[in-house]
Amino acid sequence: MIEAKGLKKTYTISKKAGFLRKEKQKVKAVDGIDLTISEGEIVGLLGLNGAGKTTTIKMLCTLLNPTAGTISVDGLDAVCDAMAVKGLVNMIAGGERMLYWRLTGAENLRYFGKLYGLHGLELEEKISSLLSQVGLSEVSDTPVELYSKGMKQRLQIARGLINDPRYLFLDEPTLGLDVPVAKQLRETVKNLAKEQQKGILLTSHYLEEVEELCDRVYIIEKGKIVLHDTPQKITETVVNEFHVSVETRTLSALEQSKLAKGLPSCKIQFLPSSDGTILEIKAPFDPTSIIIAICVEQKISIQKLELKRPRLEDAILALAKEKSA
Amino acid sequence: MWLPFSATFERNYLVMRRAFPWSFFLGHILSGVYIIVFAYLSYFYVFRGELNNRFISSAGTGDYLSYVILGGLLYSFSVSLLMIVSRAIITELREGTLEALLLSPSSRKGYYLGYMAQGFMRVGLEFFAITSAGYFFGLHLKNINWINIIVVLIVLILATFTQALILGTFMLYFRDTYITQNTLFVLMSLVCGITFPPAFLPESVALIGEIMPLTHGLDALRMVWIEGKPLSEVFPLLLKILVLGIVYFPIGAVCIKKMEKIVLEKHFG
Ligand SMILES: Nc1ncnc2c1ncn2[C@@H]1O[C@H](COP(=O)(O)OP(=O)(O)OP(=O)(O)O)[C@@H](O)[C@H]1O
Ligand SMILES: [Mg+2]
Repeated sequence: MIEAKGLKKTYTISKKAGFLRKEKQKVKAVDGIDLTISEGEIVGLLGLNGAGKTTTIKMLCTLLNPTAGTISVDGLDAVCDAMAVKGLVNMIAGGERMLYWRLTGAENLRYFGKLYGLHGLELEEKISSLLSQVGLSEVSDTPVELYSKGMKQRLQIARGLINDPRYLFLDEPTLGLDVPVAKQLRETVKNLAKEQQKGILLTSHYLEEVEELCDRVYIIEKGKIVLHDTPQKITETVVNEFHVSVETRTLSALEQSKLAKGLPSCKIQFLPSSDGTILEIKAPFDPTSIIIAICVEQKISIQKLELKRPRLEDAILALAKEKSA
Repeated sequence: MWLPFSATFERNYLVMRRAFPWSFFLGHILSGVYIIVFAYLSYFYVFRGELNNRFISSAGTGDYLSYVILGGLLYSFSVSLLMIVSRAIITELREGTLEALLLSPSSRKGYYLGYMAQGFMRVGLEFFAITSAGYFFGLHLKNINWINIIVVLIVLILATFTQALILGTFMLYFRDTYITQNTLFVLMSLVCGITFPPAFLPESVALIGEIMPLTHGLDALRMVWIEGKPLSEVFPLLLKILVLGIVYFPIGAVCIKKMEKIVLEKHFG
C-alpha cells in the first residue's frame, strides 16, 4: 500500500523585479495531502488546472522531494529509500515525451529495461510481450518519430510496465487521444488493476473516464483535498437534482395541472412535440414513481421515460460554482 | 553499472547511426584544422619562419608547426569530449526524456561512461582526420611511441571527463549550452597553450591554465610526440592531471546530481 501523510510541496520561483534584482516567491502547489493507494485499486485524482495533481504524482514517484510530509511505499520511505521505491513504481504522462524518437519501439523498451536491471532473454521476452499487449508488435522496428500520437502513448504504457511496477501513476494518459484509442487504453488500465492487481493513481480531465474506472476519487483544490469518496457518493452528495424527461400523447390543460400538482417541489416544463407532449422535470428527489402513478391514474400512456442520472461532471461543476459563489 | 553503461552506449550508437551529428563532427575537425592553417600561415608569412628564443625555451621545442598542430589536435579532442559528456543531461531535459531516466533506479556513472565511450567513436574519427590534416602541414609521424601517446591521452580523458561533469552542472544551472560551453572553450584556447606557451601570458591569466587538464596534457603530449621523451619524464605532468581529476570528480559528481533534482523542480509540465 502507498500511504502519503501531510504531503506538501512549495516551489520557489524567482521573479524579475527590475534590473538585476530578483524577488523570491513561494507557490504552495500541494498543501497537506493524505492519500492511500492499495494494490488492485484505481484511485482518481481530480482538480482544476493548477490544483496540484502533477506535483503530487511527481512526489509519489520520487521525482520530487516533498517539502513536508511522508510517503511510504510498501513500508519503504520514498525519500530515504528512493532507489528501492523506484523499482516498485512507474509513471506515465500524457503527451509525447519520455520516449526517444529516433529509436524504434523495441529499442526504447530495451534501453529502459536495462536501466531497470533487466537483460538477456528475460528482457527480450518482456519486450515482445509488452509490445503485443499494447498492440505495437507490427511496428516494433519502426522509429518512434513515425508513430502516431496514440501509438506513442501506447508505447509509453509499455515503458511504464517494463519494471512490472506494483504501483502505476497515470498523469492524463488519454490526453489528446481519439475515442477508440482512449477506450482501449481504459480497458488496459482496468485490466492492470483488476487482473494484475496493480495499484493505480489516475488524473484526468475526462470525467466519464474517472467515473468509469476509479474505485475512489480525491478531489483537490489549491493543493488541498476537498472531497474523498466513491464517484457515485460524490455525485449524490454534491448534485441533488434529478432530471427526468417523459414523452406522452398530447396532454390537456387539466392533465397538465394534475401533474403539476402531484409534483409540488419540482420544476415542470411542458413542451409540445410532433406527436404529443414532452415533460421536462427537475426534482430534488427521484420523481419517476410519482410520475408513473399519476400517469396510470389519468390513463396517460407513456411513450418514453428517461431519467438522466447526475454525473461526476455535474458534481465538479457544482463544486466549482459553490467555491466561486 | 554495466547495464546502464551498455544501454546508453547502444542507444547513442543507434541514434548516431540514424542521425549522425554532422555539424558537430565537421565543426570539431574544422576548429582543429583552422588552428593549424592559421598558425601555418602566420609562421611563414608573418614571422617568416623565425622563432625567438623565448618561445623555444618556454615551449620546450623549436618545431613550431608540430607544436601548433598538436595544440589544435588536442584542443579539438578535449572540446569534443567535454561537449559529449556535459550536454548529456541537458539534452535529455530538452527532449523530454529526463524524467524517464530519473524514474529508473539506474547508476548515473554507468550512464555517463556509456555516453563517453560511445562518443569516442566520433571523437576517434575526428582525431584521425585532424592528425591526417596535421601530417599534410608538417606534423611528423615517424619514430613515434604510440603507447606513450595513448597513456597520455587516457590520463587526459579521465580528467576531462570530470571537468565535463562540472561544465554540465553550469549548463543545467544556466539552462544554456551555447554560451556556457563556448565561454569555457574560448578561455581554454587562450590559456592552455594551444598556439603559444602560457608563459607569454600575464601571470594571473596563466594561472587559470594551471587548473585546466588540457594545459598539462598538451605539455605531456608534445614531450612524448615531438621530443620523443619517455613516460618517466612526463610523469609529473600526468600526476598534475590526475590530481585535477581527483579534485574535480567529487565536486562534479555531487553538483550534477544536485542539479538534476533542482532542474526537475524548476521544470514545468
Ligand atoms: N516547477 C514549478 N515551479 C513553480 N511552480 C510550479 C511548478 N510546477 C507547478 N507549479 C505550480 O504549482 C501549481 C500546481 O501545479 P500542477 O502542475 O501540480 O497542477 P495540475 O493539477 O497538474 O494542473 P493541470 O491540470 O494543468 O495539469 C500551479 O499553480 C503551478 O503553476
Ligand atoms: Mg498536470
